[in-house]
Amino acid sequence: MEGYDSIWDMYKKKGISRRSFIKTCTAMTALLGLAPAMLPEVVKAAEKRLPVVIWLHGHECTGCSEAFLRSGAPLTSDVVLNMIALEYDDTLGAASGEPFENHLQEIMKTYKGQYILAVEGAAPPDPKGGFCMVGGRSFVEEVKEAAAGAAAIIAYGSCAAWGGIQAARPNPTQAVSLNEIIDNKHIVNVPGCPPIPEVMTGVIAHYAMFGNLPPLDNRNCPKQFFGNRIHDTCYRRPFFDAGMFANDFNDAGARAGWCLYKLGCRGPETYASCGNMRWWNGLSYPIQSGHGCIGCTSKNFWDNDPFYTRLPEVAGLGLGNIDKIGAVATGALAVGITAHLATSAVQKRRRDQKELEDEKKAAEEAERMSRGKD
Amino acid sequence: MTVKESQFIEISMDSGKEMHLTRYYIFSPFLRIFHWLMVVSIIVLFASGIVIMTPMSMGEGQYVVLNNWHLSVDWIRNLHFVAGFVLTASFLFRIYGYIINKGDRLLPNIFRMKFWDDLVEVMMHYCLLKYSHKQFLRNPMARMSYVAIYGLIVVEMLTGFAMYFQVNPNGVGSFLFGWLVIPYGEMFLHVVHHIVAWCIFLFAAIHVYMVVRADFMEREGEISSMISGTKVLAHLPDDINDIRDKRGRIIKG
Ligand code: SF4
Ligand code: SF4
Repeated sequence: MEGYDSIWDMYKKKGISRRSFIKTCTAMTALLGLAPAMLPEVVKAAEKRLPVVIWLHGHECTGCSEAFLRSGAPLTSDVVLNMIALEYDDTLGAASGEPFENHLQEIMKTYKGQYILAVEGAAPPDPKGGFCMVGGRSFVEEVKEAAAGAAAIIAYGSCAAWGGIQAARPNPTQAVSLNEIIDNKHIVNVPGCPPIPEVMTGVIAHYAMFGNLPPLDNRNCPKQFFGNRIHDTCYRRPFFDAGMFANDFNDAGARAGWCLYKLGCRGPETYASCGNMRWWNGLSYPIQSGHGCIGCTSKNFWDNDPFYTRLPEVAGLGLGNIDKIGAVATGALAVGITAHLATSAVQKRRRDQKELEDEKKAAEEAERMSRGKD
Repeated sequence: MTVKESQFIEISMDSGKEMHLTRYYIFSPFLRIFHWLMVVSIIVLFASGIVIMTPMSMGEGQYVVLNNWHLSVDWIRNLHFVAGFVLTASFLFRIYGYIINKGDRLLPNIFRMKFWDDLVEVMMHYCLLKYSHKQFLRNPMARMSYVAIYGLIVVEMLTGFAMYFQVNPNGVGSFLFGWLVIPYGEMFLHVVHHIVAWCIFLFAAIHVYMVVRADFMEREGEISSMISGTKVLAHLPDDINDIRDKRGRIIKG
């Protein structure tokens, strides 16, 4: 592949005009959610060197890569070929085996402190556990080594960000998220199972453009993509507010497109761009297709099962959700109170009777005594 | 208010025995107003919370009659939020009362061995193993349980505000409470909020029972104390020192 120093360099080498280059930059500015006044910055950034990216895969299903490949704006091909220099990605790479692993080592040495490390998947923390081996080495070691020399780390997908399905109960490999095995480094979390393709490319495009990471919230997720609740951006929200719910996937409410809250929608506690950006270039998103949000960007979302009831069940009890358990407990309490009340009433009665008898006895005794005296 | 010894009330009991009853002033208006605001807001919060979790559907073939009541989920949620703010405000009000009045400070003396001995005694009584217990202004078990209920209410406030303010994760509210979302995710807060809500509900049920029972079995004016602020006791209560002022005087009502 011909090497390009920057996006502008590529345009020049391909013989594309400065005009279309500026057009692309304008599009990029809009896409990154920046003010039009930021265009000169974007142009400047596009004239800079392409950032080197190393992409590692851990404990995962590679679904995030699948999503990444489907980004429409910017196009994945644009990102991979023109915006970044993707030097290592074991699922996208044409090369494989030892030469490819050696290439990784070389890149890490040459660009020490400069490359972006993108990680997909959780990590089983025990290097000797035998889980998740890459090229004969444990993934933990590999990712730790790569993280040491990285300028920035992006955790793609809920697995890398929170542990994901690997870390769900009972978590046989003890899998953990990236930030639990890497200290002293800022990690950008881009959760989702998978994240929206445009969110994935958008984050890396931001870095490619500006050389820094986008503003992050308190969970280290980029604010522009994870700053809103699904519930607050959902087009079915008016139905929620009005109290119009689908009670069953087959009922009239479901057909009419009413709120899926009662069918377990996790929109009220999930932060993602599904409600505003939607998927596949704004085509649709799960709720629009009639299925509740499962909260795939949230921590521990797999453990909040079942997905089709509003409240998760209390794990391990097999009694249903808290409201049911609470109602049962209230019933038990009512029985308990009645029993306690009855017993204390009986106790009081007996006691009072005894007191009365004692008094009577004492009175009789006194009388007898006084009679005896006479 | 301090009253002279001669102003003590004397009442004859139905058994014909003469008893010397004294009225002690314990609860300041801050505590009493808090208590009743709390009662109202907790009832509203609990009921609306249950409905929010399992809303009534206004949809086709469902409870159409409710449409006329305009009980939309939006309305019920707002009711829940207003009640939450009322509870919080009254809690702050109660904290002020805690500062200015000794009777509002009847908390467990966990560092005194005697407290634990008394606690055992009172618990034996409520397990029906002992007919009566010493008289207290507020017995050790009650002291423990009120601390527990305040703790539960604080948990509800924290988790509630954390979820409420996350509408704008960049706002002041979520700066103050949003950190709660981080360790286990937001769904966890809903779960905790629910468990604790049920705990408060069960607590309230037990509390009402115990108060009514105490009123009938011990006749200390337990129920009216939350309105008048005073309790009527036949003996000098064991924990009387807790309401002595600086000069050692007891405040009587
Ligand atoms: S479908 Fe889900 S996200 Fe949309 S309004 Fe209903 S509960 Fe909220
Ligand atoms: S709607 Fe919810 S579960 Fe579905 S992709 Fe978006 S965040 Fe994930």
